[in-house]
Amino acid sequence: MSGIIDSRERVLGRIRAAARNFAAADPQPAAKDAQELAGADAAIPRRYARSGRLSAEARMALMAERLREYGAEVAVCKPEELAAAITQQIAASGRRIFVAPPGIPVAWRVEVANKIKGFECSFDHGLQIGEIEQAEGVMTAAFCGIADSGTIVLHHSASEGRRMLTLLPDWHLCILKASQVVETLPEYFDRCPQPPALVTWISGPSATADIEMTRIQGVHGPRFLNVILADDRGKEPAVH
Amino acid sequence: MRVSLFVTCYNDTLFPETGRAVVSLLERLGVEVEFLSRQTCCGQMHANTGFRGEAFSQAKRLVRLYQDAETVVIPSSSCVAMIRDQYPGLMEELGNEEQRKQFAALLPRVYELTEFLVEKLGVEDVGAYFPHRVTYHASCHALRGLHAGDRPVRLLKKVRGLELAPLENLDRCCGFGGTFSVKNGEVSSAMLAVKLLDVLETGAEFCTALDNSCLMHLSGAMHRQYAGMRTIHIAQILASTQEQPAEVSP
Amino acid sequence: MSAPGGQLDDRAILDPAHAPPFPAAALTVLRDPQLRKNVAHATDVIQAKRALLVAEKTDWQELRSAASRIKEEALDHLGAYLKQFEERCTAAGGTVHWAADAAEARRIILEILREEKAEEVIKIKTMTSAEIQLNPFLEAAGIRAHETDLAEIILQLGKGEPSHIVVPALHVNRSQVREVFARRMGIEDLSDDPQALTAAARGFLRRKFLTVPMAISGANFLIAETGAVVVVESEGNGRMCLTLPRTLITLAGIEKVLPRFADLEVMLQLLARSATGERMNPYTSLWTGVRADDGPQRFHVVLLDNGRSSILARRTGRQTLKCIRCAACMNACPVYRQTGGHAYGSVYPGPIGAILTPQLEQMQHAQSLPYASSLCGACYEVCPVKINIPEVLLELRARVTDQERRQARRIFDPLYIGLRVANLLFSRAWLFHAAQWAGRIGLRFFTGKDGWIHRLPGVGAKWTQTRDLRGLPRQTFHAWWTGRRQAIGNRH
Repeated sequence: MSGIIDSRERVLGRIRAAARNFAAADPQPAAKDAQELAGADAAIPRRYARSGRLSAEARMALMAERLREYGAEVAVCKPEELAAAITQQIAASGRRIFVAPPGIPVAWRVEVANKIKGFECSFDHGLQIGEIEQAEGVMTAAFCGIADSGTIVLHHSASEGRRMLTLLPDWHLCILKASQVVETLPEYFDRCPQPPALVTWISGPSATADIEMTRIQGVHGPRFLNVILADDRGKEPAVH
Repeated sequence: MRVSLFVTCYNDTLFPETGRAVVSLLERLGVEVEFLSRQTCCGQMHANTGFRGEAFSQAKRLVRLYQDAETVVIPSSSCVAMIRDQYPGLMEELGNEEQRKQFAALLPRVYELTEFLVEKLGVEDVGAYFPHRVTYHASCHALRGLHAGDRPVRLLKKVRGLELAPLENLDRCCGFGGTFSVKNGEVSSAMLAVKLLDVLETGAEFCTALDNSCLMHLSGAMHRQYAGMRTIHIAQILASTQEQPAEVSP
Repeated sequence: MSAPGGQLDDRAILDPAHAPPFPAAALTVLRDPQLRKNVAHATDVIQAKRALLVAEKTDWQELRSAASRIKEEALDHLGAYLKQFEERCTAAGGTVHWAADAAEARRIILEILREEKAEEVIKIKTMTSAEIQLNPFLEAAGIRAHETDLAEIILQLGKGEPSHIVVPALHVNRSQVREVFARRMGIEDLSDDPQALTAAARGFLRRKFLTVPMAISGANFLIAETGAVVVVESEGNGRMCLTLPRTLITLAGIEKVLPRFADLEVMLQLLARSATGERMNPYTSLWTGVRADDGPQRFHVVLLDNGRSSILARRTGRQTLKCIRCAACMNACPVYRQTGGHAYGSVYPGPIGAILTPQLEQMQHAQSLPYASSLCGACYEVCPVKINIPEVLLELRARVTDQERRQARRIFDPLYIGLRVANLLFSRAWLFHAAQWAGRIGLRFFTGKDGWIHRLPGVGAKWTQTRDLRGLPRQTFHAWWTGRRQAIGNRH
């Protein structure tokens, strides 16, 4: 392994040598790295739009519109109708074998189980790849929605599931509350005081345009993305 | 007002009618024109081909030549872009303190022709008459180098009798690129072929621009193909009047 | 692959050390109308989509300025940020390796694969692995590398080479894809509908995703602050490679580092809009080291220099390293639109390739690339991180000229002779005027009755093979001016 350790020194040495050509850069030894980087952020001109300008209602509408442009299905409902909306979506999908992360609210699945014949939902307490792959659908919550780009953000908490859970089943039902939807991407970052360790930003079903730039929906990821937006405005404070 | 005309080496040699038009246009607008006969080239050809030393020797020659000029007017956006975008680097790398100072003092006094008319003289209607259908080709240096925007179009719109035909894909290069047109002659020709389709589609009698270099490229293909369209530098259109119509090149 | 097939079978075409010079390579492509049509169509579509989405973003220029500064800052303190990344990635359970050059990176990757007793590996599209020619190397070592990006499958199965960094198979049309898939996947009644072709690829790869325990990826960003890695993709093949296997190896150029997690708020707004003309690409994944219950349990990052630190040392050239590989410059480039990617003889084509490749090669190869541009500036205008590509092209042309002018054979090179003579002429007005006079006499021989030149010898033939040239007018401007002044003088 000594050769590889040498390489580290060689690469860093070359970088130091290159830096010496420029006044702005770093000839300091390793001990000073932290000092060197302190305050570097201040020099970045961040004059781009940080917060959105839309009303809560318009923000919801934009989120739905942008999701639909990607080919996602969107349903809007009141919080008290959420269980009914979930049931309706699943019934309409014709899919019965589901997986879900263990942390989703009980209410989300009780009504479905009662109303849809043959509905089965396995909770991911360490499911095997094969078991997840057999599922026809997956139901999860999300960390946040970004209206400007129609993006759903998963931080893979107990209600959002492991990464493969929202990857292998062909149909992803994602439940998002209006209070979780921000307008701009920087507003999402404002909601992350601590950088998360695991993130998936999802903008529509998987897609490709590799053949003659024709957009085809559904390659390897889920081919169908359904989103239920629960309009909880004025009813409860922001979740996160 | 008094201006010194830097006509550029290729206009001097190949397009003297453009220089004559600049003189007659500016004099008509009450501007006194002088011409320093020791002028040659701005160094663009050398700089763009990688001959930096040679480009610098022409740059310092030009800067010295015009150090006493009140205002320098140049009927070529690529030569103006050369002075604005490339001289600073050349001066920084190869020049001395004195030359850098001389250049810094000259730079704000250098104008492309239409820039001089609109920004410095504040005129858009120069009293021209040119009863033809014309399309405007935005050369890359005018568009992205000088950010000329719609300035040339505003001038053309005030020309009596002129019918302006809009050009599709205005921002697309004609493929000239100086020595690129011979070093990569085939690719350059392919780009020209695509450009020419859009230009001919306008059905104009004339294609104009701020740069005779692009126009020389376009006219070379038009003439080869008997396309029936001709090129004319914008100065010649703006100089044209009922009494003294534009000198049109063959 | 039928139309461009013959030359695509030649694996060396994207190796800068062996590729033919740009003008010669371009000529081959210019004679392929199908390929030119495919390239023009694809670049038109992406450009139109991009233009719409950039126009709706009122703070686009502010985002560009921020992105440019973020990358400059990362490069200014590259050593410190890389060490920070290494420390935090390691703390999160990752293993960081350093590779000074391509050979070292290949060796490191092979060693990991051997330790894992791997026979197969799945890959998400990474131009960096193409740069180090990883696949043929693994193949020779007995390890099969399966590309999983749709375009990369098309090329791998069809033995083609990428011609674009975002849409690598844009030079191939649907019927060519159909032919390759039908033959290599053994599907007889496959239609050429992109939907059906995509479905075929999905079926073809599903088993691999579920069974191959090793994956290789590139990285769009490395986050120094947290030691996280970010991969931006569309199809979900990336997520498959990043989450299902037991072991993941990420190969990343050292310039991919971003100081902070929050810098993504700028980069992710710019990247998809510039690259594919989407507000956001379908999937962006971020992970930090390993997590006990989720994803690969062994994770390696290989930090690759391979010439990058030498680029970092150049005043003008170092901005090349700001590139986030969006390919907006190639879509906008009028040269690329005619020639496609293969003419550049490198896995990095287009304007960014024209400046990146010769510098990665430390100016030992690819010297014709800095000249593969009309300097129209369209690339700079669309670049989301404000790389002044024309400025770098000019610097590289100067470096090439400095190399070449010392070569003995340049004494007889007409271009060198011409430019040297021109320099002399421009240094004295009287010499310039004499040359104008001599030129007029000389060219009279080539000028037709219509006043135009139709045919020139030597270098001039490069012009007149497709274009006429107006003959020199009888009187230069300065001669007219002198005459006029004398006439005015006489009148007074």
